[in-house]
Parts: sequence; structure tokens; C-alpha cells
Amino acid sequence: MKPTPHIYALTNSSLLFDASHLDAKDKLSIQKKIWALTNHCKSTDEFTDLVPAMNSLTLYLKSDKHLNKWLQVLPSLWDDIKSSTFKGQHHLIETTYNGEDINYVANYHNLSADEVINIHSKAKYHVLFLGFQPGFAYLHGLDEQLHTPRRDEPRVRVPKGSVAIGAAQTGIYPADTPGGWHIIGNTNTSLFDSTSAQPCLIQPGDTLEFVPLVNKGATHD
Amino acid sequence: MIKILKSGVLLTIQDFGRVGYRHLGVSKAGSLDPFAQIIANRLLNNNDNDAVLEITVGLCELEFTCDTVIALHGADLQATLDGQIIYPGWTYAVKNKQVLSFATGRAGLRAYLAVKGGIQNTEVMGSKSTDLNACFGGIQGRALTTDDEIPITPYYGEFIKVGAIAPPQRKLIRLYPSPHANLLGKPLLDTFAATAFKVSTNSNRMGVRLEHNKNSLVHSHSLPSLGVSPGSIQLPPNGDPIVLLNDGQTTGGYPLLGTVIEADLHQFAQFRPLDTVEFKYVTFEEAAKAKQKLDGHLHQLSLALKNNL
Repeated sequence: MKPTPHIYALTNSSLLFDASHLDAKDKLSIQKKIWALTNHCKSTDEFTDLVPAMNSLTLYLKSDKHLNKWLQVLPSLWDDIKSSTFKGQHHLIETTYNGEDINYVANYHNLSADEVINIHSKAKYHVLFLGFQPGFAYLHGLDEQLHTPRRDEPRVRVPKGSVAIGAAQTGIYPADTPGGWHIIGNTNTSLFDSTSAQPCLIQPGDTLEFVPLVNKGATHD
Repeated sequence: MIKILKSGVLLTIQDFGRVGYRHLGVSKAGSLDPFAQIIANRLLNNNDNDAVLEITVGLCELEFTCDTVIALHGADLQATLDGQIIYPGWTYAVKNKQVLSFATGRAGLRAYLAVKGGIQNTEVMGSKSTDLNACFGGIQGRALTTDDEIPITPYYGEFIKVGAIAPPQRKLIRLYPSPHANLLGKPLLDTFAATAFKVSTNSNRMGVRLEHNKNSLVHSHSLPSLGVSPGSIQLPPNGDPIVLLNDGQTTGGYPLLGTVIEADLHQFAQFRPLDTVEFKYVTFEEAAKAKQKLDGHLHQLSLALKNNL
């Protein structure tokens, strides 16, 4: 029998739609359907927040009255939804690859720093979801050649804009924060600005790629 | 203005917090005891969502540089206005140059100070609340400190001396069922509901950490990240549950023991380190009833105030 998503009422006004057990091998395809489902739910205007996470969606309702309706309709919505109904934006993240750990990462994999840059900037990454801090994107698509165990000792302060690798993931720190990932570069692209009309550049379901800047410390927008 | 002479342990500007940004990783922030905020505001005929000062533990001193009317609610942190005792739940006129001082309390942790018209700092992403982790909102995205000046609107008009009682404090917290009951298993959930926990000193606005002296809640499950919110109770592998509060992050990978019901979540604003907390699973109907009862309390307050004002 085909496995079906688990749907739980968390409270009288929130639900968890969990598809994380459906396909361990193709999490990206499941996630594309999660984005499409999120998009559909958003269009109903019945939710205060819709939070996609790893192959799941947590739905926060404006009114208790709609809980049972959504418990009932979510399974068939999931069956009918086409991932192609959602299209994210593509972002180019201009990156200076001069992070203090780039040689560590290169040595760890018996690569040169240029090869690390080449592999890291060649890939197209999907923004699976955001979390941890405002504007922090969990990205899918890091080449296995660059998977690197986290630092033994996390840094007390990873500077805003750092581009880093931690285990099977790569990411960009939107603000200064402690962190255990290896810093391979940095970007001046602002990922989160609370004073902007659209505070986050990157949304769940978007795609991005890193564009290497040749001149160290070159300024750009 | 209100000038901070002494900021004490933690002094922040809060309202109901931010909604609609959780998918971007933005926490709610906002008053941990929203009912104390509502009652203090209603006593002044303010809007429920007008910004207030959240005073943690006390030990602070505030000087008013204009006339206004104030109301305090939440924990009784032994406030005095130029030496005169100020009781939570009542309105008081304040004159220019008067100093409001907080000692500390014997019960409860957080007091809420409302001023006539609300605190007038700039709204960021739909709220005046301070997000202490992401460093925005409030005043420069941080806790208030000595010499800060908080904008308020002077008020010289009439006011009525009124009082309101708070909803009762509870030590038995009611919660919704766990979505991870199958994973965690019934014996573990039964043990959780039968355990008296102590509030850890390592608790803050992100979450209340709970300790106990058994190791019966230890586990080795790890989950793909899922959405969490204030009231979610996470169980990390070390077996010490964490009740997420308003500054907690938006996603997490620990199994959930359940979610604190809406009517009881505000209780966590007032638990102090080493206080005892116990949990009881309730049905969705019981949770709805408890919320209706609390809403009823607030509605009665509004009616009573309307007759007075």
C-alpha cells in the first residue's frame, strides 16, 4: 500500500502535515509538493502562518472553526496537487571565496581551493525552508564531494554574510551568530532587513546559485 | 518620555508580537503574559495590543518626564512611586519627574507596565515588540538600558481609579496530545504526565527548560525539522523537556510531547527557577472550554470597566 501523509491537529487552531516518511530517497520532489500545497493554502487566506519545514508543513489557522475542514481536505489536496503549480524566484549570490576554512575544506577532500569554489558555485540550490534565524535558508544541492563534518568547536561569532558548509549542507548566515559550520566565503547580499517592505530576500521554494567574485573584497550591491 | 535610571535584570518593550513571518524564520516575540498586557491596557482604556514594558524580576527604576496614567499587572514586583506602594491591577496618575521603582517579588517573575496611550516606539514588521535574538524592534532591537528614553504621549486628562484581578495561577499545565505519540511510545508519555518537573535556571524568553531526577525520558530519536511555535514542548535526547516560548525558533528537530493549551501558556511567563510544574493531557474540547473561560474572564472585566469609565 502506498504510504500516506500523517496529519495531526496540534491545537484547536494548528495542524501538522507530515510527509517526511513518504520517500526517503527523493526529498526534493516531496518538498516541491509541500511548496505547492503551501501556495494553495496561502491563497485561501484562512491562515496566519504557513511554515514549511523538512517534508512537512505546519498550518496555523486564523479561526478554530476551520480545523476539521482542513483535517478532512488535506489528504485529497495532497493527492491532487501538482508541484509544477509553484515556481520560486532564482537568486544570484555574489560570493567572495576567501573564507578562513576554505583551505581546511579543500585539504579534507584532497581538492584545491579552486576546485572547492568550482564545485560549490556550479550547483543550483533549492531553498527547502527557512528557520534557525530570520532569513536563514536550508539549502538542498550541495555536491557530495564537499560534505564536511562540522567543526569540533563551534565559533562564538560567525559574521553576517558568511557562506559556510556543515555536514551535507551549505548556507549563508543572515546575521552574526554562533555557528559550527566551515566558512568558505562571504557575500554582501542582504538576506534579512527588518526595515524593508519585503524583509527576506529568499523565500521557501526559491533557487539560488553562488557567483564567485574574482577580486578579493570587491564591492558590489 | 520614560527615562530608564536602572534597567534591572531584563526590561523590554513588547506587544502581542509578530504574525505572518514564521516561514521566514522570524519568531513571534511579544509579551510572555499577554493576559497581563491586556488587563493593564484595558484598565487604561487602551487598545489590547498597545505596547507595554515587560519587567523581568524587577530591580529597575523609571523616571517619567511627563504626566500620564499607568497600570501594572502580572507579578507583584513591589513597585513604589516616589516611595508610595503601587499595587498591580490598579490605575495610578503619574506626574512629571516622578520615579517608579521595582524591588522584586516573592511570587511570579514578570510584571507588565502599561501607560495611557501605549508606548510609542516605531513598529517593525507589524509589531513594536523587541526581538532579542534577531536584534530588531523595540529600541534598537535590544533590552532597555540606563539612559534610554522611551517615547510616550503625555496625558493630563481625567482617569478613573479602577482595579482588576488576574486569572488564577496554575501549577498543573494542560496540554494537547503529542503528534509523536507513536514514536515516543505510551510508557514515556505516561511517565512525562506523572513527573513533577523543576524549572531550570537556564530558562529564558526562548523557552522554559524543565529538569527532573529520573532518566526515564531519555531517548535517541531525531526527526527531520518541523514547524514549532510558542507552547510546543520539545523532548531533546537528554530527556529534559523544553517548553518553547515567544522568542523560540520557528522549526526544530526534536520530538514533541504535545502543545500547551492556549489558556495555560501565559503561566510560563511567571514560573521562577526551581518552581514545580506538572502536566496533564486534555482533549481538544477541554482546551476550547478553558480558552472560553479565560476569554469570559476578560469579557467580564471589559463589561465592569465599561460601567465604571
